[in-house]
Amino acid sequence: MLAAPLAITWMAATLLVLVDGRRRWVAWAGVTALLVHLASLLVLAYDVHGGTGVEGVTGGWPQGVGIRLRADALGLVFAVLSSGVLTAALVHEALRGVRSRAFPALVLFLATGLTGLFLTADVFNFFVFFELSMIAAYVLSVYGEERKQIGGALIFAVVNLLGSFLFLIAVGAMYHVTGTLDMRAIAARFDTVEPASAIMIAVTVFVAFGVKLGLFPFHFWLPPLYTGARPAVAAILAGALANIGSYGLIRFGAGILPNELEFGALVVLLLGAASIVYGSMQALSRAAVGEVLAYSAIGQAGYILVALAVGGPVGYAAAVLYSVVNSLNKVLLFLAIGLRGWLVGAAFVVGAFSVAGVPPTAGFFAKVAMFQTGVASTHPILLVALIFVGSALSFVYMFQIYQHEYWRTEQAGPVSAPVRRALVAGLAVVVVGLGVWPEPLLELSRRAAEVLPGGRG
Amino acid sequence: MIVLLSAVIGILFGAGAFLMLKPDLFRVVIGMVVISNAANLTLMASGLSRGRSPIHPLPQGETVSDPLVQAMTLTAIVIGFGVTALLLSLVYRVYTSHETVDLDDLSHQEARQSEELEREEVHI
Repeated sequence: MLAAPLAITWMAATLLVLVDGRRRWVAWAGVTALLVHLASLLVLAYDVHGGTGVEGVTGGWPQGVGIRLRADALGLVFAVLSSGVLTAALVHEALRGVRSRAFPALVLFLATGLTGLFLTADVFNFFVFFELSMIAAYVLSVYGEERKQIGGALIFAVVNLLGSFLFLIAVGAMYHVTGTLDMRAIAARFDTVEPASAIMIAVTVFVAFGVKLGLFPFHFWLPPLYTGARPAVAAILAGALANIGSYGLIRFGAGILPNELEFGALVVLLLGAASIVYGSMQALSRAAVGEVLAYSAIGQAGYILVALAVGGPVGYAAAVLYSVVNSLNKVLLFLAIGLRGWLVGAAFVVGAFSVAGVPPTAGFFAKVAMFQTGVASTHPILLVALIFVGSALSFVYMFQIYQHEYWRTEQAGPVSAPVRRALVAGLAVVVVGLGVWPEPLLELSRRAAEVLPGGRG
Repeated sequence: MIVLLSAVIGILFGAGAFLMLKPDLFRVVIGMVVISNAANLTLMASGLSRGRSPIHPLPQGETVSDPLVQAMTLTAIVIGFGVTALLLSLVYRVYTSHETVDLDDLSHQEARQSEELEREEVHI
Protein backbone atom coordinates (compact mmCIF):
# COMPACT_ATOMS: atom_id res chain seq x y z
CA MET A 1 0.00 0.00 0.00
CA LEU A 2 2.79 2.40 0.95
CA ALA A 3 4.72 1.75 -2.24
CA ALA A 4 1.67 2.14 -4.52
CA PRO A 5 1.93 5.93 -5.06
CA LEU A 6 5.61 5.52 -5.89
CA ALA A 7 5.15 2.55 -8.19
CA ILE A 8 2.38 4.19 -10.24
CA THR A 9 4.34 7.26 -11.31
CA TRP A 10 7.62 5.38 -11.57
CA MET A 11 6.26 2.81 -14.01
CA ALA A 12 4.26 5.38 -15.95
CA ALA A 13 7.37 7.58 -16.25
CA THR A 14 9.49 4.70 -17.50
CA LEU A 15 6.89 3.88 -20.15
CA LEU A 16 6.28 7.49 -21.19
CA VAL A 17 9.97 8.23 -21.60
CA LEU A 18 9.99 5.79 -24.52
CA VAL A 19 7.36 7.67 -26.52
CA ASP A 20 7.39 11.16 -27.98
CA GLY A 21 6.00 13.53 -25.34
CA ARG A 22 5.01 16.12 -27.93
CA ARG A 23 2.08 13.98 -28.97
CA ARG A 24 -1.13 15.04 -27.35
CA TRP A 25 -2.14 11.71 -25.82
CA VAL A 26 1.21 11.23 -24.08
CA ALA A 27 0.81 14.37 -21.97
CA TRP A 28 -2.75 13.37 -21.08
CA ALA A 29 -1.58 9.85 -20.20
CA GLY A 30 0.90 11.54 -17.85
CA VAL A 31 -1.91 13.61 -16.31
CA THR A 32 -3.98 10.44 -15.84
CA ALA A 33 -1.06 8.68 -14.11
CA LEU A 34 -0.59 11.69 -11.83
CA LEU A 35 -4.31 11.69 -10.95
CA VAL A 36 -4.23 7.97 -10.10
CA HIS A 37 -1.09 8.62 -8.04
CA LEU A 38 -2.85 11.48 -6.25
CA ALA A 39 -5.85 9.24 -5.54
CA SER A 40 -3.58 6.55 -4.06
CA LEU A 41 -1.95 9.19 -1.85
CA LEU A 42 -5.39 10.25 -0.63
CA VAL A 43 -6.29 6.62 0.16
CA LEU A 44 -3.05 6.41 2.13
CA ALA A 45 -3.95 9.66 3.89
CA TYR A 46 -7.31 8.13 4.85
CA ASP A 47 -5.46 5.16 6.42
CA VAL A 48 -3.13 7.46 8.33
CA HIS A 49 -6.00 9.71 9.46
CA GLY A 50 -6.45 9.39 13.20
CA GLY A 51 -3.44 7.12 13.74
CA THR A 52 0.25 7.87 14.09
CA GLY A 53 1.25 6.70 10.64
CA VAL A 54 1.63 3.70 8.35
CA GLU A 55 4.98 1.92 8.23
CA GLY A 56 6.45 -0.66 5.93
CA VAL A 57 9.79 -2.24 5.09
CA THR A 58 10.68 -2.46 1.41
CA GLY A 59 11.61 -5.67 -0.35
CA GLY A 60 10.25 -7.99 2.37
CA TRP A 61 13.35 -7.55 4.53
CA PRO A 62 13.10 -8.04 8.28
CA GLN A 63 12.54 -4.98 10.49
CA GLY A 64 15.81 -3.10 11.06
CA VAL A 65 17.51 -4.40 7.92
CA GLY A 66 15.45 -3.14 5.00
CA ILE A 67 14.76 0.46 4.07
CA ARG A 68 11.74 1.74 5.94
CA LEU A 69 8.95 3.82 4.44
CA ARG A 70 6.74 5.75 6.80
CA ALA A 71 3.69 7.80 5.91
CA ASP A 72 2.72 10.30 8.59
CA ALA A 73 0.65 13.48 8.52
CA LEU A 74 3.64 15.77 7.86
CA GLY A 75 4.98 13.76 4.92
CA LEU A 76 1.54 13.23 3.41
CA VAL A 77 0.62 16.93 3.51
CA PHE A 78 3.72 17.73 1.47
CA ALA A 79 3.30 14.72 -0.84
CA VAL A 80 -0.32 15.57 -1.72
CA LEU A 81 0.58 19.25 -2.15
CA SER A 82 3.53 18.56 -4.47
CA SER A 83 1.68 16.04 -6.59
CA GLY A 84 -1.26 18.43 -6.89
CA VAL A 85 1.09 21.20 -8.03
CA LEU A 86 2.74 18.93 -10.59
CA THR A 87 -0.66 17.87 -11.93
CA ALA A 88 -1.75 21.50 -12.38
CA ALA A 89 1.52 22.37 -14.13
CA LEU A 90 1.35 19.37 -16.45
CA VAL A 91 -2.27 20.12 -17.37
CA HIS A 92 -1.28 23.73 -18.07
CA GLU A 93 1.55 22.63 -20.36
CA ALA A 94 -0.55 19.92 -22.03
CA LEU A 95 -3.16 22.55 -22.92
CA ARG A 96 -0.48 24.84 -24.28
CA GLY A 97 1.28 22.08 -26.26
CA VAL A 98 4.33 20.22 -24.94
CA ARG A 99 7.50 21.20 -26.79
CA SER A 100 9.97 18.58 -25.69
CA ARG A 101 10.04 14.81 -26.00
CA ALA A 102 10.70 13.98 -22.38
CA PHE A 103 8.63 16.61 -20.55
CA PRO A 104 5.68 14.46 -19.34
CA ALA A 105 8.01 11.64 -18.25
CA LEU A 106 10.25 14.10 -16.37
CA VAL A 107 7.30 15.52 -14.46
CA LEU A 108 6.33 11.97 -13.46
CA PHE A 109 9.91 11.21 -12.37
CA LEU A 110 9.86 14.38 -10.30
CA ALA A 111 6.58 13.24 -8.70
CA THR A 112 8.18 9.88 -7.87
CA GLY A 113 11.25 11.48 -6.33
CA LEU A 114 9.25 13.97 -4.27
CA THR A 115 6.74 11.40 -3.01
CA GLY A 116 9.59 9.05 -2.14
CA LEU A 117 11.43 11.59 -0.07
CA PHE A 118 8.30 12.69 1.75
CA LEU A 119 7.39 9.09 2.62
CA THR A 120 10.77 7.62 3.56
CA ALA A 121 12.02 7.03 7.09
CA ASP A 122 15.62 6.42 6.11
CA VAL A 123 18.08 9.29 5.70
CA PHE A 124 20.11 7.71 2.92
CA ASN A 125 16.99 6.74 1.02
CA PHE A 126 15.92 10.36 1.46
CA PHE A 127 19.14 11.40 -0.30
CA VAL A 128 18.52 8.98 -3.19
CA PHE A 129 14.98 10.26 -3.82
CA PHE A 130 16.21 13.81 -3.35
CA GLU A 131 18.77 13.28 -6.13
CA LEU A 132 16.16 11.60 -8.34
CA SER A 133 13.94 14.66 -8.09
CA MET A 134 16.84 17.10 -8.45
CA ILE A 135 18.08 15.42 -11.64
CA ALA A 136 14.58 15.61 -13.11
CA ALA A 137 14.51 19.28 -12.10
CA TYR A 138 17.88 20.03 -13.73
CA VAL A 139 16.58 18.67 -17.01
CA LEU A 140 13.23 20.46 -16.62
CA SER A 141 15.00 23.78 -16.00
CA VAL A 142 16.30 23.87 -19.59
CA TYR A 143 12.87 22.98 -20.99
CA GLY A 144 11.86 25.43 -23.69
CA GLU A 145 15.41 25.75 -25.03
CA GLU A 146 15.69 29.50 -24.71
CA ARG A 147 19.23 30.76 -25.01
CA LYS A 148 19.24 32.87 -21.88
CA GLN A 149 17.81 30.00 -19.84
CA ILE A 150 20.86 27.78 -20.12
CA GLY A 151 23.17 30.01 -18.07
CA GLY A 152 20.66 30.12 -15.20
CA ALA A 153 20.06 26.37 -15.42
CA LEU A 154 23.79 25.64 -15.22
CA ILE A 155 24.25 27.79 -12.10
CA PHE A 156 21.17 26.11 -10.59
CA ALA A 157 22.63 22.66 -11.25
CA VAL A 158 26.11 23.44 -9.91
CA VAL A 159 24.95 25.21 -6.73
CA ASN A 160 22.33 22.59 -5.91
CA LEU A 161 24.74 19.74 -6.55
CA LEU A 162 27.09 21.29 -4.04
CA GLY A 163 24.13 21.37 -1.62
CA SER A 164 23.39 17.70 -2.33
CA PHE A 165 26.97 16.64 -1.63
CA LEU A 166 26.93 18.61 1.61
CA PHE A 167 23.80 16.70 2.56
CA LEU A 168 25.53 13.42 1.66
CA ILE A 169 28.43 14.32 3.95
CA ALA A 170 25.91 15.08 6.71
CA VAL A 171 24.28 11.65 6.15
CA GLY A 172 27.71 10.02 6.52
CA ALA A 173 28.34 12.00 9.69
CA MET A 174 24.94 11.06 11.15
CA TYR A 175 25.63 7.40 10.45
CA HIS A 176 29.05 7.72 12.06
CA VAL A 177 27.80 9.24 15.31
CA THR A 178 24.61 7.18 15.72
CA GLY A 179 25.27 3.96 13.79
CA THR A 180 21.86 3.96 12.13
CA LEU A 181 20.05 5.49 9.17
CA ASP A 182 16.51 5.30 10.52
CA MET A 183 15.18 8.80 11.23
CA ARG A 184 13.47 7.93 14.51
CA ALA A 185 16.48 5.99 15.80
CA ILE A 186 18.82 8.85 14.87
CA ALA A 187 16.59 11.30 16.73
CA ALA A 188 16.56 9.04 19.81
CA ARG A 189 20.32 8.48 19.84
CA PHE A 190 21.26 12.09 19.08
CA ASP A 191 20.91 13.12 22.73
CA THR A 192 24.10 11.25 23.59
CA VAL A 193 26.15 12.71 20.73
CA GLU A 194 28.81 15.19 21.84
CA PRO A 195 27.60 18.77 21.22
CA ALA A 196 30.41 19.88 18.87
CA SER A 197 29.72 17.12 16.31
CA ALA A 198 25.97 17.51 16.69
CA ILE A 199 26.14 21.23 15.89
CA MET A 200 28.44 20.64 12.89
CA ILE A 201 25.98 18.09 11.47
CA ALA A 202 23.01 20.39 12.11
CA VAL A 203 24.73 23.30 10.35
CA THR A 204 25.60 21.15 7.32
CA VAL A 205 22.00 19.94 7.03
CA PHE A 206 20.72 23.50 7.42
CA VAL A 207 22.99 24.79 4.63
CA ALA A 208 22.00 21.91 2.33
CA PHE A 209 18.27 22.67 2.67
CA GLY A 210 18.80 26.42 2.77
CA VAL A 211 20.30 26.16 -0.71
CA LYS A 212 17.26 24.20 -1.92
CA LEU A 213 14.77 26.66 -0.48
CA GLY A 214 16.72 29.72 -1.67
CA LEU A 215 17.21 31.38 1.70
CA PHE A 216 18.97 34.73 1.89
CA PRO A 217 22.70 33.91 1.80
CA PHE A 218 22.21 30.95 -0.58
CA HIS A 219 19.64 32.48 -2.92
CA PHE A 220 21.76 33.76 -5.84
CA TRP A 221 20.90 30.90 -8.22
CA LEU A 222 17.18 31.48 -7.93
CA PRO A 223 16.31 34.73 -9.80
CA PRO A 224 18.06 33.91 -13.15
CA LEU A 225 16.45 30.47 -13.13
CA TYR A 226 12.86 31.62 -12.49
CA THR A 227 13.15 34.55 -14.90
CA GLY A 228 14.15 32.42 -17.87
CA ALA A 229 11.91 29.42 -17.29
CA ARG A 230 8.53 28.73 -18.95
CA PRO A 231 5.54 29.39 -16.64
CA ALA A 232 4.82 25.68 -16.10
CA VAL A 233 8.45 24.97 -15.20
CA ALA A 234 8.68 28.00 -12.90
CA ALA A 235 5.48 26.80 -11.19
CA ILE A 236 6.99 23.32 -10.76
CA LEU A 237 10.25 24.70 -9.36
CA ALA A 238 8.62 27.19 -7.00
CA GLY A 239 5.57 25.12 -6.03
CA ALA A 240 6.88 21.56 -5.86
CA LEU A 241 10.68 21.50 -5.80
CA ALA A 242 11.03 24.22 -3.15
CA ASN A 243 8.96 21.95 -0.86
CA ILE A 244 12.07 19.77 -0.49
CA GLY A 245 13.74 22.67 1.29
CA SER A 246 10.84 23.48 3.61
CA TYR A 247 10.04 19.82 4.33
CA GLY A 248 13.72 19.05 4.89
CA LEU A 249 14.12 21.93 7.34
CA ILE A 250 10.97 20.92 9.23
CA ARG A 251 11.70 17.17 9.26
CA PHE A 252 15.44 17.34 9.97
CA GLY A 253 15.43 20.52 12.04
CA ALA A 254 12.36 20.03 14.18
CA GLY A 255 12.00 16.25 13.82
CA ILE A 256 15.52 14.86 14.13
CA LEU A 257 17.68 17.64 15.54
CA PRO A 258 15.30 19.63 17.82
CA ASN A 259 17.95 20.41 20.46
CA GLU A 260 20.37 21.74 17.87
CA LEU A 261 17.58 23.81 16.28
CA GLU A 262 16.80 25.31 19.67
CA PHE A 263 20.49 26.04 20.23
CA GLY A 264 20.78 27.86 16.90
CA ALA A 265 17.31 29.45 17.04
CA LEU A 266 18.65 32.99 17.14
CA VAL A 267 20.78 32.52 14.01
CA VAL A 268 17.87 30.84 12.20
CA LEU A 269 15.58 33.68 13.22
CA LEU A 270 18.03 36.34 12.02
CA LEU A 271 18.54 34.59 8.68
CA GLY A 272 14.77 34.31 8.28
CA ALA A 273 14.33 38.02 9.02
CA ALA A 274 17.14 38.89 6.60
CA SER A 275 15.45 36.76 3.92
CA ILE A 276 12.11 38.52 4.41
CA VAL A 277 13.59 42.02 4.27
CA TYR A 278 16.07 41.34 1.47
CA GLY A 279 13.55 39.42 -0.69
CA SER A 280 10.86 42.10 -0.32
CA MET A 281 13.21 45.02 -1.00
CA GLN A 282 14.67 43.34 -4.09
CA ALA A 283 11.19 42.41 -5.34
CA LEU A 284 10.12 46.02 -4.92
CA SER A 285 12.97 47.28 -7.09
CA ARG A 286 12.46 44.89 -10.03
CA ALA A 287 10.20 45.37 -13.02
CA ALA A 288 10.17 41.94 -14.75
CA VAL A 289 7.37 39.74 -13.39
CA GLY A 290 9.50 36.60 -13.18
CA GLU A 291 12.17 38.42 -11.21
CA VAL A 292 9.68 39.98 -8.77
CA LEU A 293 8.14 36.56 -8.09
CA ALA A 294 11.61 34.99 -7.68
CA TYR A 295 12.63 37.55 -5.04
CA SER A 296 9.21 37.20 -3.47
CA ALA A 297 9.93 33.45 -3.15
CA ILE A 298 13.14 34.28 -1.24
CA GLY A 299 11.17 36.53 1.09
CA GLN A 300 8.40 33.98 1.64
CA ALA A 301 10.97 31.30 2.53
CA GLY A 302 12.05 33.61 5.35
CA TYR A 303 8.65 33.29 7.08
CA ILE A 304 8.98 29.50 7.20
CA LEU A 305 12.39 29.91 8.82
CA VAL A 306 11.07 32.41 11.39
CA ALA A 307 8.22 30.03 12.31
CA LEU A 308 10.72 27.16 12.70
CA ALA A 309 13.01 29.25 14.89
CA VAL A 310 10.16 30.12 17.28
CA GLY A 311 9.10 26.45 17.33
CA GLY A 312 6.61 24.80 19.66
CA PRO A 313 3.20 23.55 18.50
CA VAL A 314 2.23 27.01 17.23
CA GLY A 315 5.46 27.65 15.31
CA TYR A 316 5.68 24.22 13.65
CA ALA A 317 2.02 24.30 12.62
CA ALA A 318 2.60 27.79 11.18
CA ALA A 319 5.67 26.57 9.26
CA VAL A 320 3.66 23.74 7.66
CA LEU A 321 0.68 25.97 6.91
CA TYR A 322 2.87 28.69 5.44
CA SER A 323 4.73 26.22 3.19
CA VAL A 324 1.44 24.85 1.84
CA VAL A 325 -0.15 28.25 1.19
CA ASN A 326 3.08 29.68 -0.25
CA SER A 327 3.42 26.93 -2.81
CA LEU A 328 -0.26 27.24 -3.83
CA ASN A 329 0.24 31.01 -4.31
CA LYS A 330 3.36 30.53 -6.39
CA VAL A 331 1.72 28.03 -8.72
CA LEU A 332 -1.29 30.25 -9.23
CA LEU A 333 0.84 33.34 -9.94
CA PHE A 334 3.37 31.66 -12.23
CA LEU A 335 0.66 29.92 -14.27
CA ALA A 336 -1.34 33.16 -14.53
CA ILE A 337 1.43 35.46 -15.76
CA GLY A 338 1.64 34.04 -19.29
CA LEU A 339 -2.09 34.30 -19.95
CA ARG A 340 -4.37 37.07 -21.16
CA GLY A 341 -8.11 37.60 -21.04
CA TRP A 342 -11.14 37.56 -18.81
CA LEU A 343 -10.73 35.77 -15.41
CA VAL A 344 -6.91 35.77 -15.59
CA GLY A 345 -6.52 39.22 -14.04
CA ALA A 346 -8.94 38.26 -11.27
CA ALA A 347 -7.05 35.00 -10.64
CA PHE A 348 -3.79 36.94 -10.44
CA VAL A 349 -5.33 39.37 -7.94
CA VAL A 350 -6.41 36.42 -5.77
CA GLY A 351 -2.83 35.13 -5.81
CA ALA A 352 -1.42 38.57 -5.07
CA PHE A 353 -3.84 39.09 -2.15
CA SER A 354 -2.92 35.66 -0.83
CA VAL A 355 0.80 36.53 -0.90
CA ALA A 356 0.07 39.77 0.96
CA GLY A 357 -2.30 38.01 3.39
CA VAL A 358 -5.53 39.84 2.60
CA PRO A 359 -8.81 38.04 3.49
CA PRO A 360 -10.68 36.05 2.22
CA THR A 361 -7.71 34.16 0.74
CA ALA A 362 -5.73 31.27 2.20
CA GLY A 363 -2.77 33.62 2.67
CA PHE A 364 -4.73 35.48 5.36
CA PHE A 365 -4.74 32.45 7.66
CA ALA A 366 -1.07 31.76 6.93
CA LYS A 367 -0.30 35.32 8.05
CA VAL A 368 -2.56 34.95 11.11
CA ALA A 369 -0.63 31.81 12.05
CA MET A 370 2.60 33.77 11.62
CA PHE A 371 1.32 36.55 13.90
CA GLN A 372 0.36 33.93 16.51
CA THR A 373 3.90 32.55 16.22
CA GLY A 374 5.31 36.03 16.67
CA VAL A 375 3.22 36.59 19.81
CA ALA A 376 4.29 33.20 21.21
CA SER A 377 7.99 34.03 20.78
CA THR A 378 10.35 35.71 23.24
CA HIS A 379 10.48 38.95 21.21
CA PRO A 380 6.80 39.45 20.35
CA ILE A 381 6.91 43.13 19.37
CA LEU A 382 9.92 42.84 17.05
CA LEU A 383 8.58 39.76 15.27
CA VAL A 384 5.06 41.10 14.83
CA ALA A 385 6.53 44.31 13.42
CA LEU A 386 8.74 42.32 11.03
CA ILE A 387 5.83 40.22 9.76
CA PHE A 388 3.67 43.30 9.38
CA VAL A 389 6.34 45.18 7.39
CA GLY A 390 6.98 42.08 5.25
CA SER A 391 3.26 41.77 4.43
CA ALA A 392 2.94 45.45 3.61
CA LEU A 393 5.95 45.31 1.28
CA SER A 394 4.59 42.22 -0.45
CA PHE A 395 1.28 44.00 -1.01
CA VAL A 396 3.11 46.88 -2.69
CA TYR A 397 5.26 44.78 -5.03
CA MET A 398 2.40 42.47 -5.98
CA PHE A 399 0.27 45.48 -6.86
CA GLN A 400 3.16 46.89 -8.91
CA ILE A 401 3.34 43.81 -11.13
CA TYR A 402 -0.44 43.66 -11.41
CA GLN A 403 -0.42 47.22 -12.67
CA HIS A 404 2.48 46.50 -15.01
CA GLU A 405 0.96 43.32 -16.44
CA TYR A 406 -2.74 43.96 -16.67
CA TRP A 407 -3.32 47.71 -16.78
CA ARG A 408 -0.88 48.79 -19.44
CA THR A 409 -2.58 48.22 -22.75
CA GLU A 410 0.56 47.73 -24.85
CA GLN A 411 1.26 44.56 -22.85
CA ALA A 412 -1.97 42.97 -24.03
CA GLY A 413 -1.49 40.00 -26.33
CA PRO A 414 -4.00 37.67 -27.94
CA VAL A 415 -6.59 36.26 -25.53
CA SER A 416 -5.65 32.78 -24.27
CA ALA A 417 -7.79 29.70 -24.77
CA PRO A 418 -10.74 29.43 -22.32
CA VAL A 419 -9.63 26.02 -20.92
CA ARG A 420 -6.25 27.40 -19.90
CA ARG A 421 -7.92 30.33 -18.22
CA ALA A 422 -10.35 27.95 -16.52
CA LEU A 423 -7.42 26.02 -14.99
CA VAL A 424 -5.96 29.19 -13.47
CA ALA A 425 -9.40 30.29 -12.30
CA GLY A 426 -9.84 26.85 -10.69
CA LEU A 427 -6.59 27.31 -8.77
CA ALA A 428 -7.78 30.75 -7.66
CA VAL A 429 -11.03 29.18 -6.43
CA VAL A 430 -8.98 26.70 -4.38
CA VAL A 431 -6.98 29.55 -2.79
CA VAL A 432 -10.16 31.50 -1.97
CA GLY A 433 -11.96 28.32 -0.85
CA LEU A 434 -9.21 27.54 1.64
CA GLY A 435 -9.54 31.12 2.89
CA VAL A 436 -13.30 30.90 3.33
CA TRP A 437 -13.26 27.46 4.95
CA PRO A 438 -9.79 27.14 6.48
CA GLU A 439 -10.64 24.56 9.16
CA PRO A 440 -9.39 21.44 7.29
CA LEU A 441 -6.08 23.12 6.41
CA LEU A 442 -5.53 24.39 9.97
CA GLU A 443 -6.38 20.94 11.36
CA LEU A 444 -3.98 19.31 8.91
CA SER A 445 -1.10 21.58 9.84
CA ARG A 446 -1.80 20.95 13.54
CA ARG A 447 -1.74 17.20 12.89
CA ALA A 448 1.48 17.54 10.90
CA ALA A 449 3.12 19.50 13.74
CA GLU A 450 2.07 16.79 16.22
CA VAL A 451 4.34 14.36 14.39
CA LEU A 452 7.35 16.39 15.54
CA PRO A 453 8.71 15.88 19.07
CA GLY A 454 8.38 19.57 20.01
CA GLY A 455 5.06 20.03 18.25
CA ARG A 456 2.69 18.37 20.71
CA GLY A 457 0.76 20.97 22.60
CA MET B 1 43.88 5.76 9.10
CA ILE B 2 41.14 8.22 10.03
CA VAL B 3 43.66 11.07 10.21
CA LEU B 4 45.02 10.21 6.76
CA LEU B 5 41.49 9.92 5.33
CA SER B 6 40.40 13.25 6.79
CA ALA B 7 43.49 14.94 5.34
CA VAL B 8 42.76 13.44 1.91
CA ILE B 9 39.08 14.42 2.10
CA GLY B 10 40.02 17.94 3.17
CA ILE B 11 42.50 18.36 0.30
CA LEU B 12 40.03 16.93 -2.23
CA PHE B 13 37.22 19.20 -1.06
CA GLY B 14 39.51 22.24 -1.12
CA ALA B 15 40.81 21.41 -4.60
CA GLY B 16 37.23 20.89 -5.83
CA ALA B 17 36.05 24.17 -4.35
CA PHE B 18 39.05 25.96 -5.93
CA LEU B 19 38.23 24.51 -9.36
CA MET B 20 34.56 25.46 -9.00
CA LEU B 21 35.52 29.10 -8.63
CA LYS B 22 37.23 29.14 -12.05
CA PRO B 23 35.38 30.77 -14.94
CA ASP B 24 36.04 27.81 -17.25
CA LEU B 25 32.93 25.58 -17.16
CA PHE B 26 34.90 22.37 -17.69
CA ARG B 27 36.92 23.12 -14.58
CA VAL B 28 33.68 23.73 -12.69
CA VAL B 29 32.46 20.27 -13.73
CA ILE B 30 35.77 18.65 -12.76
CA GLY B 31 35.58 20.50 -9.42
CA MET B 32 32.12 19.00 -8.92
CA VAL B 33 33.48 15.50 -9.63
CA VAL B 34 36.32 15.99 -7.13
CA ILE B 35 33.89 17.22 -4.46
CA SER B 36 31.55 14.28 -5.08
CA ASN B 37 34.49 11.95 -4.52
CA ALA B 38 35.36 13.77 -1.30
CA ALA B 39 31.77 13.12 -0.18
CA ASN B 40 32.06 9.43 -1.15
CA LEU B 41 35.26 9.10 0.85
CA THR B 42 33.51 10.71 3.83
CA LEU B 43 30.78 8.10 3.57
CA MET B 44 33.37 5.31 3.51
CA ALA B 45 35.22 6.84 6.44
CA SER B 46 32.02 7.14 8.48
CA GLY B 47 31.80 3.37 8.95
CA LEU B 48 35.40 2.32 8.61
CA SER B 49 36.14 -0.91 10.43
CA ARG B 50 38.63 -3.73 10.01
CA GLY B 51 37.34 -7.22 9.26
CA ARG B 52 36.53 -9.89 6.71
CA SER B 53 34.49 -9.01 3.65
CA PRO B 54 30.80 -9.22 4.57
CA ILE B 55 29.76 -11.91 2.09
CA HIS B 56 27.20 -14.58 3.00
CA PRO B 57 27.86 -17.05 4.69
CA LEU B 58 29.56 -14.93 7.34
CA PRO B 59 32.69 -16.44 8.93
CA GLN B 60 31.96 -17.61 12.49
CA GLY B 61 33.72 -15.82 15.34
CA GLU B 62 35.41 -13.22 13.14
CA THR B 63 34.54 -9.57 12.71
CA VAL B 64 33.34 -8.36 9.34
CA SER B 65 33.63 -4.85 7.96
CA ASP B 66 30.52 -2.64 7.77
CA PRO B 67 28.67 -3.47 4.53
CA LEU B 68 26.25 -0.56 4.80
CA VAL B 69 28.75 2.20 4.05
CA GLN B 70 29.99 0.27 1.04
CA ALA B 71 26.46 -0.05 -0.30
CA MET B 72 25.82 3.65 0.33
CA THR B 73 29.05 4.70 -1.35
CA LEU B 74 28.30 2.55 -4.37
CA THR B 75 24.89 4.22 -4.71
CA ALA B 76 26.45 7.65 -4.28
CA ILE B 77 29.06 6.88 -6.94
CA VAL B 78 26.36 5.89 -9.43
CA ILE B 79 24.37 9.06 -8.68
CA GLY B 80 27.53 11.15 -9.03
CA PHE B 81 28.25 9.52 -12.37
CA GLY B 82 24.80 10.30 -13.72
CA VAL B 83 24.98 13.86 -12.49
CA THR B 84 28.39 14.38 -14.12
CA ALA B 85 27.06 13.17 -17.46
CA LEU B 86 24.13 15.58 -17.13
CA LEU B 87 26.42 18.51 -16.24
CA LEU B 88 28.70 17.79 -19.19
CA SER B 89 25.72 17.72 -21.55
CA LEU B 90 24.55 21.06 -20.12
CA VAL B 91 28.02 22.53 -20.75
CA TYR B 92 27.86 21.17 -24.29
CA ARG B 93 24.48 22.90 -24.75
CA VAL B 94 26.08 26.14 -23.60
CA TYR B 95 28.90 25.60 -26.08
CA THR B 96 26.57 24.92 -29.03
CA SER B 97 24.41 27.98 -28.34
CA HIS B 98 27.03 30.51 -27.17
CA GLU B 99 30.24 29.07 -28.71
CA THR B 100 32.15 29.51 -25.48
CA VAL B 101 32.54 27.66 -22.20
CA ASP B 102 33.97 30.64 -20.32
CA LEU B 103 31.64 32.22 -17.77
CA ASP B 104 33.22 35.67 -18.26
CA ASP B 105 32.57 35.55 -22.02
CA LEU B 106 29.03 34.35 -21.32
CA SER B 107 28.21 37.25 -19.02
CA HIS B 108 29.77 39.69 -21.53
CA GLN B 109 27.55 38.26 -24.26
CA GLU B 110 24.46 38.50 -22.06
CA ALA B 111 25.26 42.08 -21.06
CA ARG B 112 25.72 43.02 -24.72
CA GLN B 113 22.40 41.39 -25.62
CA SER B 114 20.42 43.19 -22.94
CA GLU B 115 22.08 46.47 -23.98
CA GLU B 116 20.96 45.89 -27.54
CA LEU B 117 17.44 45.10 -26.36
CA GLU B 118 17.33 48.33 -24.39
CA ARG B 119 18.61 50.33 -27.35
CA GLU B 120 15.87 48.86 -29.53
CA GLU B 121 13.24 49.80 -26.97
CA VAL B 122 14.51 53.39 -26.83
CA HIS B 123 14.54 53.49 -30.61
CA ILE B 124 10.88 52.48 -30.77
